[in-house]
Amino acid sequence: MGVIRTGLAALALLASVTCLADLGENLSGQAATPQRPNILLVLADDLGYTDLASYGSEINTPILDALAQQGVRFTNYHSAANCAPARAMLLTGVDAHLAGVPNIPEMLAPEQQRHAHYQGVLGTNVVTVATLLEDAGYHTYMAGKWHLGTGPGQLPSERGFERTVALADSGADNWEQRPYIPIYDKANWYADGKEYTLPEDFYSSRFLVDKTIEFIDSNIEDGKPFFAYLPFQAVHIPVQAPQDFIDRYMGVYDAGWDVLRERRLTRATELGIVPEGVSAVRMSTTADWEALDAQRQRYEAKRMAVYAAMVEAMDFHLGRLLDYLKQSGQYDNTIIIFTSDNGAEASGSVDPHSFVNRRLTDSLGYRIDYETLGLKGSYSSISPSFASAAASPLAYYKFYAGEGGMRVPLIIAGVGLPVQGELVRAFSFVTDITPTILSFAGVASPGPRYRGRPVESIIGRDLQPLVRGSEERVYGPEETVGYELAGHAALFQGDYKIVRNRGPVGDGQWRLYNIVDDPGEANDLATAEPARLQRMLLAYERYVLENKVLPVPPGYNHLNQLVTNTLYNRMRSPILVGLLTLLVLIPFVVAHRRQDQ
Amino acid sequence: MINKILSVLVVLPAILFVVTGVRWLVDPAVSATQLGMALDQGLGLSSQVGDLSSFFLTLGICILLAVVTGRRMWYYPPILLLSLAAIGRLIAWLVHDAALAPQIGVEVLIAILLFVASRRLPREA
Repeated sequence: MGVIRTGLAALALLASVTCLADLGENLSGQAATPQRPNILLVLADDLGYTDLASYGSEINTPILDALAQQGVRFTNYHSAANCAPARAMLLTGVDAHLAGVPNIPEMLAPEQQRHAHYQGVLGTNVVTVATLLEDAGYHTYMAGKWHLGTGPGQLPSERGFERTVALADSGADNWEQRPYIPIYDKANWYADGKEYTLPEDFYSSRFLVDKTIEFIDSNIEDGKPFFAYLPFQAVHIPVQAPQDFIDRYMGVYDAGWDVLRERRLTRATELGIVPEGVSAVRMSTTADWEALDAQRQRYEAKRMAVYAAMVEAMDFHLGRLLDYLKQSGQYDNTIIIFTSDNGAEASGSVDPHSFVNRRLTDSLGYRIDYETLGLKGSYSSISPSFASAAASPLAYYKFYAGEGGMRVPLIIAGVGLPVQGELVRAFSFVTDITPTILSFAGVASPGPRYRGRPVESIIGRDLQPLVRGSEERVYGPEETVGYELAGHAALFQGDYKIVRNRGPVGDGQWRLYNIVDDPGEANDLATAEPARLQRMLLAYERYVLENKVLPVPPGYNHLNQLVTNTLYNRMRSPILVGLLTLLVLIPFVVAHRRQDQ
Repeated sequence: MINKILSVLVVLPAILFVVTGVRWLVDPAVSATQLGMALDQGLGLSSQVGDLSSFFLTLGICILLAVVTGRRMWYYPPILLLSLAAIGRLIAWLVHDAALAPQIGVEVLIAILLFVASRRLPREA
């Protein structure tokens, strides 16, 4: 078995080098020694399926749209339904459960945390793409959100990245160094493995691009290629953007979320992102826009305007990085991959002025007034209603295994790529990104051992055949890809998907969809095709066993668990200190009272 | 009356010392930050938690024993510990380029308070 695997790895390497040679010829226009390409991996945070203009959005994203014209847009690409598992799979090509990150640590139940692979921390049994590229002679840089562990050996500086500035938490303020939820004492930033204090004039997208340019520029003379990982904070909560960007979207969303969802569906259909006649379900969490008073409508429209502004600001700053690459002569030899970690975030409060939300934002020292929404010191988000529009025409959103939580934009671009401006409709998954990067770089996937340690094998596929237009699909019609997050589950096979969405929004029932014809998951085929459903359910059970998926405890709810874990983390120490102090003091109190008697 | 006030003034820092000692056991990261030090790993962490929790717990428990038993001898360990801590800080400032910590004032003040209490409060030596 080991011999076969080694042989396959050698063949894969040979194929990669052949592709690389082709790319080198394309880039230079003549046959020559292939020059290894730079790789720029850009990750947006919580970006919805139709949040880019080239996917059907009204948001102005000219830089990403230009990239889409220089490469391919994937219309059937899926990531995980939340952050850290997506990042673990993105950077390793291994299923999140085997990589040690089945969920974000903030949402793991105590029963699950007893198991070594349920810590929400990237395990040492996986190798990151950064390590593989670093060992192959690449410079490796990272600027942005990490969220895969902060303990010894867990920061990106110890997972293959040569230079880093990294946010360790699930999110943080975009204007200054402060936490966005009470589970954190502070926003935990690190640079090259050491705690880091953000500069005074910080704005996340601008800063992260500046650092990426600084890193690349520091080694530009030595001729070695680079791998730069740029995981933006945009558009994670708190949603914040500069005023001039916000001004561009004032009034754009005054017609409400239903109109926006419909407009995006129309535009996505025109662009060919989704097929004609797609049905879209209306989520139960989508509120009645007309029932809101004028003041609430005005406020909700501004929340969405700030969101759009944050997306455009990200696009703008990405443009500065691409300009730098052009000016420094590196752009033509750079492969750019842009995607999102998961679908649109719907955890924003339905009513930001509710008692509970006011207490939360007050406790964090944030304002929520209309005038300064999105600026420094202000806390903004979008509600489930606009999140559903950001995911249009898909069902569900972040944290759920519905298409709205998992299907996100993916653009792979480069000057030398043979196919430009096309759409790729084949199914692809987040674990495919690492093997694709390795393929572009001409680096072999790791075998069963790496640096003397046993490691998990990459399960993803090289997407180059799709990017180059030489293949129609990289997964055969009978091959399956499983997924699980806190009991939400899915299995993809060919054009079909079975999906189970638990509460509070889902009902926990398995459903079957043809996600090619019906990406909106509006027509459940479970009754019409029971044999297919059963076959896929059996395949899912195999996925559970092979990937050591643990069940969630009875009554588990990811939002309740987040609150419970927050209280536990925040209150455990004070309660324990109080109890132990009492234990020490009680004998003295008793002795003192006995003396008085 | 003065003795009652003195007892309260002595017991308050004693409780504070106990809480600080317990916190070194439960949440050393926060305790280290409050004392201006980084939390170490391995043997260093073991020394930080073991030595500093015992320092503060000994301070607090001895003061409480002194007040409850009324025996003067229980005042001497905390007076010694606080005085030597203040002297150590001074030497660290003069010889090892350490910061001149404002905690010196607190330590000296509590040591004097304990000394006064040891003269007035005990019922036996």
